[in-house]
Amino acid sequence: MGPRRDPVDDRTKLYACERIPNEHGGEGKFTSRIESVRSGDGSPGRDCTDSEDDRKRLGGDGVLAEVLTVFINGLQQGAIYVLVAIGLSIILGTLKFVNFAHGALYLVGTYVGLLVTLEIQLTDGKLAEWGFTSIGLGWGFLAALVIVPIVVFAVGLLMERFVARPFYDRPDTDQILLTFGLAIVVQEVFKILFGGQSYNFARPGWASGPVDLPIIGAFPEWRLYVIGITAVLVAGVYALVEFTDFGLVVRAGTRDAEMVELLGIKLSRPYLMVFGVGAALAGVAGVVGGPLYAVNPNIGTEILVPAFLVVVIGGVGSITGAVLGGILLGETLAILVAVAPQWSQVGIYVLAAVVLLARPQGLLGSEEVTP
Amino acid sequence: MSDDDRLLELDDVDAYYGESHILRDVSLGVAGGEVCALLGRNGAGKTTTLRAVAGARPPEVRDGRISFKGEDVTAMEPEDISARGISLVPEERRVFPNLSVAENLHLAEVSENASNTVGRSLGQVQVEHVGMTTEQVYEEFPRLRERNSQQAGTLSGGEQQMLAIARALKQNTDLLLLDEPYEGLAPQIIADVEDAIRRISESGTTILLVEQNAVAAMDIADRCYVVDQGSIVFEGTATELREDDETRERYLGV
Repeated sequence: MGPRRDPVDDRTKLYACERIPNEHGGEGKFTSRIESVRSGDGSPGRDCTDSEDDRKRLGGDGVLAEVLTVFINGLQQGAIYVLVAIGLSIILGTLKFVNFAHGALYLVGTYVGLLVTLEIQLTDGKLAEWGFTSIGLGWGFLAALVIVPIVVFAVGLLMERFVARPFYDRPDTDQILLTFGLAIVVQEVFKILFGGQSYNFARPGWASGPVDLPIIGAFPEWRLYVIGITAVLVAGVYALVEFTDFGLVVRAGTRDAEMVELLGIKLSRPYLMVFGVGAALAGVAGVVGGPLYAVNPNIGTEILVPAFLVVVIGGVGSITGAVLGGILLGETLAILVAVAPQWSQVGIYVLAAVVLLARPQGLLGSEEVTP
Repeated sequence: MSDDDRLLELDDVDAYYGESHILRDVSLGVAGGEVCALLGRNGAGKTTTLRAVAGARPPEVRDGRISFKGEDVTAMEPEDISARGISLVPEERRVFPNLSVAENLHLAEVSENASNTVGRSLGQVQVEHVGMTTEQVYEEFPRLRERNSQQAGTLSGGEQQMLAIARALKQNTDLLLLDEPYEGLAPQIIADVEDAIRRISESGTTILLVEQNAVAAMDIADRCYVVDQGSIVFEGTATELREDDETRERYLGV
């Protein structure tokens, strides 16, 4: 990231910093972030850097540009939610397993992505105490995009075998206690190792700058990549569920697992795959979201709540529902942040409540996994 | 029937649903090639018997032995039992309503296809009757071809029964377990299903049939067992059962 170029007005900073207020956790933190930008100590590449480099068009191109910007920002925000929520939704729909540790996979994805992409300086945490002052491979972002899904896929497989599987027949409350506990353990382990501070996850060089869009003008290129990568992955998962034998078995098994077994099909392997694929998607979300948001040990639990809202809004087990729910939530957030930022936190819950009142099973919810 | 002829054999099987003792010392045998009917009132233990054979849980078989082709299958998983050539067409058909007819049929192939990444290799298991191809199934049940892209949940009861049987026939099946195939079907459709069962039997597949409709079952069965309160109370040919007024009135109400 280059140095600060243009002075920006306070409103722009506010806007940029409030993209995902749920990750900031409340008014207090909000303010401190805004202050940090104001005072100019938001380090380059951190979660507020857009405001410096990319958003200089504000105030220039009128209402349409503003609306389109909000829309694309909403899509991008929604894309991250979709990536996390799909796994959550199909694991809940297929395996009937409530995974509160799903956010931990996002956390792992972000940190592994950071370490593959860059070499970071450690100042805090046990690793620094043990003498690792700098850590990371520095192989760049493309490497991270390939390696992270594989790593987190493997983590997902381990999670299925050793955490989820023994609890499939247990009540939801047991599953929640177990996985919520696991989420906290993972978060604390990262905190111990890397310290509690935020790391700077710079965008890849090839997508770090603004790109000129019609009407809107300059727009952060990376956000478009996030939308594009998500679209490709969602299409892939859709095809997997709709057109392959694996998907057929999963769809059938979601509806009537015993009958599938009576047909001579062992479900443990497809179930393992479902978990792995869901985990890998959350891992990718961590990588592509890393450069947009803060990288600290809390991001896993912070992404979990909106991801669950997306599942609830879209309907458990529905991939299309997760996409719809994610976009709806992302857009709602983006619009509220633009027009009434103090309501953005409340807004997403109101959205979920309204959808649930109208359709308790979610927009596209049914009993089975649908493409 | 000598013991050597027995394809399926249950020896003093005791099965439980939770703590409820459902099957009490059930012993029965099904010979290769025959149509055997298990009759009795609602709740007598007929479905439990079929589920126990197919490896479904519950019931839990706590005592006794179920053997198929001489091999003990009592504690096996349903998918392993299926791989040995036993297919269950369960009560209420249990077709996948969210899948199309073609997908329902294709699912039966997934389990057999050794090279498939989802299904498993059948390994050394020898199954005599190779499953039908989709084309053969469609010839047997032309209605299914007409509706192959339709969701199975939208089919009529009779069509769903055809689909459930067709699905079983697509598998390598030596023993077909049919649970109440006539349930909820109109008389005309019952005749169609009856025809289908006869043709399957003529092709050499052994059939163990559970029915409440004793009259219809006696029409196609070679031999019958009558079960009451979890115990076998009659064993004999269909002709013998027809002549045994007391058993029929007492246990079957006909």
